[in-house]
This record gives sequence, C-alpha cells and structure tokens, in this order.
Amino acid sequence: MDFPINAPIGERVRRKETERFVTGRGRYVDDLLPPGTLHVSFVRSTCAHARIQSMDVDAARAMPGVRAVFTGKEIAQHVKPLRVGGSSMLRTVKLYPLAVDKVRYFGEPLAVVVADNRYLAEDAVDAVSVDYELLPAVIDPEAAMEPGAAVVHEDVGGNIVYKYHFATDGIDKVFQAADVVVKERIRSHRITACPIEPRAYLAQYNKEEDSLTMWSATANPHSLRGRIAEVLSFPEGKIRVIAPDVGGSFGVKIQTYQEELLLPYLSRELGRPIKWCETRVEHMRNGRHGRDQIHYIEMALTKDGTMLGIRDKIIADMGSTYTVDHSILAAALYMTGVYQIQNYAVEALGISTNKTTHGSLRGIGKADASYILERLVDIAALELKMDPIDIRMKNFIPADAFPYRNVTGALYDSGQYHLAMKRTAEIAGYEHLRKEQADLRKKGIYRGIGVALVMEPTSSSRIHATGGYASCRLRIDPSGAATVFSSMGEQGQGHETTIAQIVASQTGIPFDQITVIHGDTLPTPYGFGTGSSRSSVVLMPSAWVAGKLMRDKILGIAARRLNVVPEKLEIGDGQVFAKENSSQSIAVMEIIRTAYGAIHLLPENMEPGLEVTGYFVNPNIDYTPDDKGRMNTFSSYPYAAVIAVVDVDVETGMINIVRYCTVHDCGNMINPQIVETQHQGSIMQGIGAALFEELRYGEDGQLLSSTFMDYRLPSVEEMPALALEHIVTPNPFTPLGAKGAGETGMLGPPPALCNAVEDALSPLSVKIRETPLTPDRILDLIEKAQAKAANG
Amino acid sequence: MAKTISLIVNGKPYSGEAESRTLLAHFLRDGLRLTGTHLGCVVGRCGACTVLWNGRAVKSCMVFAVQADGDEIVTVEGLAQDKRLHPLQESFWKNDAVECGYCTPGMLMSAYGLLSKGNKPTEEQIKRAISGNLCRCTGYGNIVAAIKEAALNFTK
Repeated sequence: MDFPINAPIGERVRRKETERFVTGRGRYVDDLLPPGTLHVSFVRSTCAHARIQSMDVDAARAMPGVRAVFTGKEIAQHVKPLRVGGSSMLRTVKLYPLAVDKVRYFGEPLAVVVADNRYLAEDAVDAVSVDYELLPAVIDPEAAMEPGAAVVHEDVGGNIVYKYHFATDGIDKVFQAADVVVKERIRSHRITACPIEPRAYLAQYNKEEDSLTMWSATANPHSLRGRIAEVLSFPEGKIRVIAPDVGGSFGVKIQTYQEELLLPYLSRELGRPIKWCETRVEHMRNGRHGRDQIHYIEMALTKDGTMLGIRDKIIADMGSTYTVDHSILAAALYMTGVYQIQNYAVEALGISTNKTTHGSLRGIGKADASYILERLVDIAALELKMDPIDIRMKNFIPADAFPYRNVTGALYDSGQYHLAMKRTAEIAGYEHLRKEQADLRKKGIYRGIGVALVMEPTSSSRIHATGGYASCRLRIDPSGAATVFSSMGEQGQGHETTIAQIVASQTGIPFDQITVIHGDTLPTPYGFGTGSSRSSVVLMPSAWVAGKLMRDKILGIAARRLNVVPEKLEIGDGQVFAKENSSQSIAVMEIIRTAYGAIHLLPENMEPGLEVTGYFVNPNIDYTPDDKGRMNTFSSYPYAAVIAVVDVDVETGMINIVRYCTVHDCGNMINPQIVETQHQGSIMQGIGAALFEELRYGEDGQLLSSTFMDYRLPSVEEMPALALEHIVTPNPFTPLGAKGAGETGMLGPPPALCNAVEDALSPLSVKIRETPLTPDRILDLIEKAQAKAANG
Repeated sequence: MAKTISLIVNGKPYSGEAESRTLLAHFLRDGLRLTGTHLGCVVGRCGACTVLWNGRAVKSCMVFAVQADGDEIVTVEGLAQDKRLHPLQESFWKNDAVECGYCTPGMLMSAYGLLSKGNKPTEEQIKRAISGNLCRCTGYGNIVAAIKEAALNFTK
C-alpha cells in the first residue's frame, strides 16, 4: 500500500495523558460523585451450586441508611436477561443481573442493597439471610462430562456447551507412519487479569430528559450501550455510556457483567445516581477468569526432528455462565503455531462448571495454545536428543513463505522466525550458556535454559461478534486545533498519543494542538471494544484514513487558492506550498478560515467545514469457512522469540530468573516507547502467570485465592534482568504496517520458564505438566522424581 | 460514632466528620474529594492508596481516619508546587513509567517517601521502597529508572 510514514509516526513522543495521571487528576469512575449518589453492595452466594429456597431481606430493608433492597426474582420481572453464547458451536444461556432460582458459582450476586453510603450498604448485606438447597458442585471439567454429573444449566441439557472439530485427511496414517510420537496431558491453569482498578459503575437516570448516563470502567462502551438498551427495553439513542479513565483491563473489562446491567435499572427505579465500585475480593470471584484448558496432545515426527502432524483434544473449563467461545476456538485454530505442520486434528469441548464465568484475558486461547505447543516441542526435542533451538529452526515457517496459510486456514501476514530465534540466541550467548550450565551443574547449581517462540494472533473478527472495523472522526476547529473522536476507549494503551501522532503526520496540525476524545458513546463514532490487540491494526489505520481525508481536503482548498494541482502541493510549518516553488504558498490557518467562513472560495462541490470520519475494516479476515472448514479469524500475527535463564534452588523450590532475553516483532511501531513499555508489562504479567498466580478452587467450589494475599501478582522484586530487542517485519495488510502489540509479551514466560525449569531439573528427571511453578510444587515434583528413581 | 477530626493535608488545614471505622483513604477521597489517592485492594497489598503520614509512606486503606487526627498528610495532589511538576512527576513522564495511571499516585508517594529521607538511594533501596506497590501495566522497569533519575535532582 502506498503510504508515507512521516514523523511524528515512529517517534518516541511523550504520552499526552501522563501529565494528568502523575498529578492525581486522572478521572476514574470511583472519582465521580454526582450530588445525591446512592451506593450499592451485593449479597453474594456463599456456595458454588445451590437452589435458592428462600431469602429474607426484611431486616436489611430496616437498617439505617438503606433505601432499597431487591432480590433476583424481583429484578427478573423488570429486566430482561441478556442472551449470551449462541454461536453455531456454543449453546445459548440467559444471563440475569442477579441469580433468580439457582446460584451457579461462589460469589454470584443474588440480591442488591442500595444505601446512603457503601459502609451502610455492606452492613445491610450482612443482615440478609438466604436458605440454600445445596447441589453437588461441578468443579472438575473432566468429571463434569461423565454421565450422571450434576448439570450447571438444566435448560442446556448437559455440561458440554461447546463443540468444535477439525481434521485433515489421512491424519491417522501420518501418526502410524511416524518414527516418533510424543504424547502428553498438559493443562494451562486458571488465572485472571487483575487490573489494579477493579470494575466500577455509576448510572444516572435523568427524569427530565428520560435519558440515562452510565459511567463504566469498561473497555467496550458502544456494545455496553446496546446491551443496556436491550435488557431495560430503553431506547439506545437515549443512553450515553462514558468510560472515563480506566485503570487497566487486559481483557477483563471488555465483557458485559451482571452488575453493569443492574445499575441503570436501579437509577431509573430510584431516581438517583447509583454507584458501585467492586472490591478486590469481588473482582477475584466475579471478574472473568481465563486459561484453564486441558490438552491431550500428541505430535508425530521423523527421526531427524521434522514435525509431521499434531492431534489434540481440548477440554476447556468455561465456568458457569459462559459468554464467549474465543478461548477454545483460538486454541484449536493455532495449535500448529509457527511450524510448517499441515496434518492436524482437534476435538475441542467447552465444559460448564460451577466456577466463575470464563472470558477474555490478555492472550485468550492463544496463550494456552502457544504454551502447550512450545512445551510439547521441548518434550519432543528431549525424546529425539535434539537441541531445543535446532528442532525449532528445522520446522519454522520460512520468511519467504509469507503470507502463510496454516493448516486451519489462518493466513499469517508476515514473520522472520529464524532471524528472531537466531538473534535471541546471540543476545543470550546461547552456546556459552550451555557450557556454563555444564560447569555449574558440577558445582550443584541447577541452571536451566528455556527456549520458546510464541506467536500471537491479533485483531480478531467474527460474524456477529467483535472487531470488524474501527473509526475516528476528525475535526479541525476554526481556531486551528484538532479534535479526534475515537471509536475505541483506552485503558493505558496510549491512544491519545498515538492517534495524535498519526493525525499530526497527515495534516500538519501540530501534535500539541490535537486532542483525542475516546470512551464516550455520545461524540464518538461506533466501534468495538479495545481487545485482541486490535488498536494498532484497525483503530490507528482509521485515524490514518481520517487524516488522509482531511489532508485531501486541505490540499484541495489550497489547490484552488494557489491554482496548483493538489499532487504538486505539500504541507509543512503551518503552510501549504508548491513542491517546486515554495514561495507559492498559503497558511494552513487561511485554509481553515476558508473552509468555515469564506466558502465561496472552496472548490466546486466541496462541503464546508473541516470534519471527516475515517473507517478502517479489519483486513485479512474470513467470515465463513471454506469447504474444508478452514478460515482466518485474526488479521495479524506478531511473535516473540525467548530464551529464559533460571536457577532453581532445590532446597527451597525457589526459581530465580537470571535473565530473560527476547526479540519481538510487531511490525512497524507508531511509538516504539509505548510498545516497549507495554511489552515489558506484558512479559511481567506472563511471569506472574507462570510462577505465582493461580485461581484455586476447593472441592466444594469455594475460591481459595480471592485476595492479593493468596493470589500473588509479581512485584518489582520479581522483575528479572530483561534484554529486549525488536525486529520489524511490516504487516502488508494495513497501511501503517503495524501488527497487534499488547499480548505477545505475556505468551513467552509460561513456556520459556517451564522449559527452563525442566531443563534445570533434568539431572533429577523432573517433568513439569502442571503450573504455576510455585516453590511447593517444585519441591513436590523433585520429591516425586526422587521417589520414582529410588524405586527404580 | 462520628467525630470531627482535623488534619494538615498538602500543607492546608482541613477538618471533617469521620466515623470511627472510616478509612483514611475514604476520608481523603470522599470527604476531602482528593481523588488522586486510589483504592485497588483494601488489604494493604496493592499500594495504590499510599500517602505520606507524618513523613512516612503508608497505605491509607490500612489507617482509620481518626488515627490521623491532628497529623500531617501528603497526597499526590501535594507534589506539584505552583503548577510546576515535582522532579518525580517529570521523571515518571519522561521515562514512560505510567500507562493506565491507576497505581501511579501510590508509586509516586512511595518514591517520595524514600527520596524524602535525603540519601541517594541504591537500586535495591528503590525496589524495596516500591515493593508494596503493584503495577500491572509497565512491568516496573521504567518506574525504577524514573525514580533513579529523579533522585539525582531531588530536593525535599
């Protein structure tokens, strides 16, 4: 595509938004307090699976400061359920704001208290008593599939709520003829995103206008607006959703929640602003969970390490009221990863259990796939006594094969896997590391080297789902400053800065004179949520399209004024001038004045004013499968090569990351500083997932890790020495050449660290199939391996 | 039982009603409307609510407002003077130590507490000082770099 990438695109411009954040002037939902605001607290289920026999809310209604108490049954009479699921493969269920007859997970809201302040609301919650008829808790997804297991959603008829199957011809023959087959059961454990700002909502019904304003810490304001309209039977045009500053999302805030649908109803009913800010405990119990897939996977290879085929069975724990199937489908479509494997079969099952709802989380599904595949590759390398880099280099898709159609129909845009791996090995000093490892082993130091190359499908689009396009409306005011209205909100991605960079580059309006408005459904054009790393793939190109439309308009006006064709004009230093004779020029301000106030000087048929809307359609997407069931549902494919070096203390089970080296390719970078910062944070989140974080459930379905005391996020103390480099292979499908950039970092640590720890403990024959790699798990594995060795 | 308490916040005297169970964080946010101090966990782990209490960095979700009666508090709103950013704020901006901004006030106050002690801290001391502040966006590297740089031209 013909596209001039001019400054300040590509520059490390300081973020516009940071100034308000460092001075405490950020405005998050909890910072808003309209006069008369009432506060909400929820009565939540104390068991995982039960029928609600009765509920006594009289005592709560009589408590001081309590304005109202509603039960799920009462709410269900006034608020329609949201219908969720419902793809061709996923069964539909109804999601009510509060549980009606039955609770399906520990912490599910079943009644709501509205009071003068949060303290009083919580007092009243304690005064509500609920009688439950306990049902067996369905916790283990494999047991949930057995005949006779308790059923989470009776109307669905069973716990298998999702099925997907894909197989290439002759896959069994490939396995029969293979020299070697490696076969494993590997599970990716359950984690959650944990933005530091929990969810927060504030609804304000305006009686005079019969309109509704909803401030939400959401990553998906336009979709939320439609859903509120649906459940309240309220005109969508009279609803305004505003996502002000949002304190991180990482996927968890892109979906619609039960509480989010209830607050607008309460505000309309009570005629007061209603606010709820989630506690951390509530967030752990109710925020969407991620990962938690069991894979029974096998790989067929030749003796020399050529990968021939993969067969996989996926059992995904979807939790109670499953809402999306992206996690399973993304894993199923990308199990062949970065390798030239054209024989593949998968059976994927989504299972409903009495755990919190499964949903979006940075790297959804793709992280499960890359983790399990990159583990399996190491297991194969060990079996074949091959070096983990050699086996990868032998099987990578070569750079000249792009765009590459993988076995399930995905079309990878571009990549240089061999180069990224080679460069990572150079940075890490791989050969030296192996020698050093041998020396350290003699001294009793268990050093491990873990290799991985993870690929992250980004910017997904599916029919009736998400992400088909993004849009930006751009206005140059009569004063000469510009405002961009972005269809996508931000939660730390720096859109205010990168969009301004793009528009400045196209229009010549100075970066400092450009304001970006986002997250508010009233002024911004329609668009989908900020997820799947689609900002750089669809939103930024939509800003570029808007910038180009504006540029064409400015040049068109100048052409008439200067009597020079637009092709021979250039914008610079506040002037439009003829390229061949720069003295032939007109001030941009004069063009702006023309557009607004001297419209008789405009070219024929040109509209007055300076306002344009740019749309960009997610490129490289198939919306329907071909006759073999193949399709491409993601538009770009960034990746990262990783070499992690660890020392494992076999006395304490502690893992020390000595060094984490990675080479990342997300195509062209609009602002390399923003990419690097985000990538570092993404890696750190992956380290947390690999080593510390786990949502653990008891057999009765109680969540055992529901505070930051028992769900451990990495702190600065766990930050490893990081060697980070980029290579740039532009995305040929977008005008900016950018791929998604937000998630790849998180994919690297789970496989690289597990491979490194298994390598470190290889003298003890420790095998890692379960994570996270907490010290107690490591000690347990060492003990088991030693016992096994002792028993011969 | 509500009690009237008086505090010096960011150099200015304030008084207001506080229940015995009102957290200092809620008093600052809801009572004084100083909303720069954020809440992320309310169990003293995430550190988004960190303020200076009589010169020491503390998590204001772990303090009852009445405990701070008569005391001096500095919040993130008190860092910039005469509309000029504090060196820490400048340095956080320059080093891209901020993404979503939610943990930032707490990070700044923990760093301010450290630098206020006067010595030029080592990297280990910097990490120790912010080890009680969780950031989910940045991975911490830029934050450590920012504090290190600010320490070079810090005046209390």
